[in-house]
Amino acid sequence: MRGYIIKALLKKEFARHMANRGGVALAVLLVAAAVLLSVFAPQEAATAAGTQMVGGVHHCYIDFDKEAPLIAHLKAHVPPELKAAIIFREVPPKRIGALVPSPTGTGSVQLTFTGEPGKPVLDVYVWHPDGSPEALATYEAWFWKEVRRGLAAEARKAHPKVPADPDMASDNWQLMEAHAHLKAQAAAAGATVPDLKVNRAGLAGKVLDLRAVIATGMVLFSVYYACVYLLPTLNCEERERGVLLAQALSPASPGELLLAKFLFYPTFGIGLAATLAAIYKPDVLSSLFFWLSLLAVGGGFLGIGMTIAAWAKTQRAAFLGGMCYLLSVSMVLMICATNGIPYLPFLAVEYHGPRVLHAALSGNVAWYHWFNLLGAVLLAGGWLFAAGWVFRRRGWQ
Amino acid sequence: MVPPEVMIRIAGLRVLYGTFAAVDGLDLDIRRGELFGLLGPNGAGKSTTIRVLIGQRRPSAGAVSVDGLDVVREWAEIKPRFGYVPDRENHFEEFSGRKNLEFFGELYAVPRLRVEEALSMVELDEVAHLPVKGYSLGMRKKLLLARALLHEPKVLYLDEPTANLDIRSADVVHGILRERVKRGGTVVMTTHDMDEVEKICDRVGIVCRGKLVALDSPLALKQQHTERKVDVIATGGARLVYDMDNAQQRAELGALIATGGAASVRTREFDFHATFLKLTGLAFE
Repeated sequence: MRGYIIKALLKKEFARHMANRGGVALAVLLVAAAVLLSVFAPQEAATAAGTQMVGGVHHCYIDFDKEAPLIAHLKAHVPPELKAAIIFREVPPKRIGALVPSPTGTGSVQLTFTGEPGKPVLDVYVWHPDGSPEALATYEAWFWKEVRRGLAAEARKAHPKVPADPDMASDNWQLMEAHAHLKAQAAAAGATVPDLKVNRAGLAGKVLDLRAVIATGMVLFSVYYACVYLLPTLNCEERERGVLLAQALSPASPGELLLAKFLFYPTFGIGLAATLAAIYKPDVLSSLFFWLSLLAVGGGFLGIGMTIAAWAKTQRAAFLGGMCYLLSVSMVLMICATNGIPYLPFLAVEYHGPRVLHAALSGNVAWYHWFNLLGAVLLAGGWLFAAGWVFRRRGWQ
Repeated sequence: MVPPEVMIRIAGLRVLYGTFAAVDGLDLDIRRGELFGLLGPNGAGKSTTIRVLIGQRRPSAGAVSVDGLDVVREWAEIKPRFGYVPDRENHFEEFSGRKNLEFFGELYAVPRLRVEEALSMVELDEVAHLPVKGYSLGMRKKLLLARALLHEPKVLYLDEPTANLDIRSADVVHGILRERVKRGGTVVMTTHDMDEVEKICDRVGIVCRGKLVALDSPLALKQQHTERKVDVIATGGARLVYDMDNAQQRAELGALIATGGAASVRTREFDFHATFLKLTGLAFE
């Protein structure tokens, strides 16, 4: 391997991208998207556990027709994790209870006081995405708790003997009140109902963090883009135009031609991925697990890209090969996930890659993620071996 | 053992594509400092022979050496010794002419000044800063030649080097090739154009169906195969043909001209197509 030849080949790859700019433009767009994600959805405002994926509801509107002590109470008691997701709106009375077209991914709770003087009624309308009544569960848990607390506080102002609120620190208060009521009814009838004890604990896995999911997607895409799209298509373009032959006839050996390509594209992809990850979460650059994950995924995608580049004869074939591969793997993973088919997904880099990168980006690396990393490394090795074998058989010429 | 005056030795070369023999037992020596023309119709085996010489096709049988080195076993050593001008241009379209040459110059480790010399040699120095995608076919062809000459190779292979070139550019290319030969270089070119061969080649080989059917200097070939006949249009309008190898017909022609009975007299020129037909029994396509 001669340094001056590798340097000339790397300079050529760089100059080609500078001259064509399409690849660079997409990289700049990805960086811009990561910056926008970072600026407009800062991490502290996007940690609402469960609000990002349950039913797909990312915003809940609280509509009311006039200010009231209960509204003031609700506004004052929105927990920090829901602050970015709950929006209070004062609307004309005729809008309360009327079907309001809402953007996809939103829901609303409308409330108004009706009834006769001395017999007020709190009228509540819960508008959830059609077919998903549970989609607003996270919002409703907050809403009903604070409505109860707000109404009790108001009642207590007029009658101090109104009992104190139950322990609302846990999520079991409604259940415990209902059970206490049942016990009282049973005791009145002379029966005994056992006491209820509910234990809640966190699983190993955490709630899917949508922001980390988007960041993971961008990081994965950047490596895929460099290794499975740019590498095969540009190589096949060179082959199709005959410039690969011109280079092969120069003093550059086939090994040097390959090494330059394999130095350039994975470095470009991993560099872009690390930039995107750092914009999302700068600390991740100091994480060994992140770098190991990125290298494993980069190695896997490089092997896939090399295999496509060795098989495809033309630029169009290389592009279609990359697209078909992506579509096929996505379909297999989706079918396996929706039908509970075990083990088969373990054979895809695309199964392990997102898991390990998401774990690294969300800072939730659990012991089982190391097994995913091992899987990704083994698959990367397999793909690189397969690519080398196909290359030896078919070559780049 | 290859004699020192032989630059390229092709011995019993056979190249098979499946069961089809593109080159079938070709024996040929090309001398140092020679401009050699390889003629033949499409599919005759010219390009396959060149592909073997540049190491892009393995011989099915036979041996090929360049500068005493085996093209299969010692390809890496041979590569810096030759330049190749393909029939289909293969530049980086998005780069300028100069950048194209600079890239290959770096691979050959030649000084940057050599790039300017090569551009000037093919008269592209004024457009060297423009992207190749804006070049005409002739300019692209000349850029290929400049690239092939960057490292001053011992052997130059050219596939149809003057196709798409205007007369002036073709003359420039011919001048460059003759200059290479004068300085001791060896040039092997394929062409369909017998006039071009006659103008610049020292020797010519005619191939057909993978076999060498004639090998000589263009002049000798012409002498051997030109029909020694004279076409005459008589003053009365009759078209007459006189065979110059026949004493009686020579005398009749002399008498006709002396009496002023010939309105037009024309000697027959070398007809490559007719010669090819005579040599191979095939029409030259």
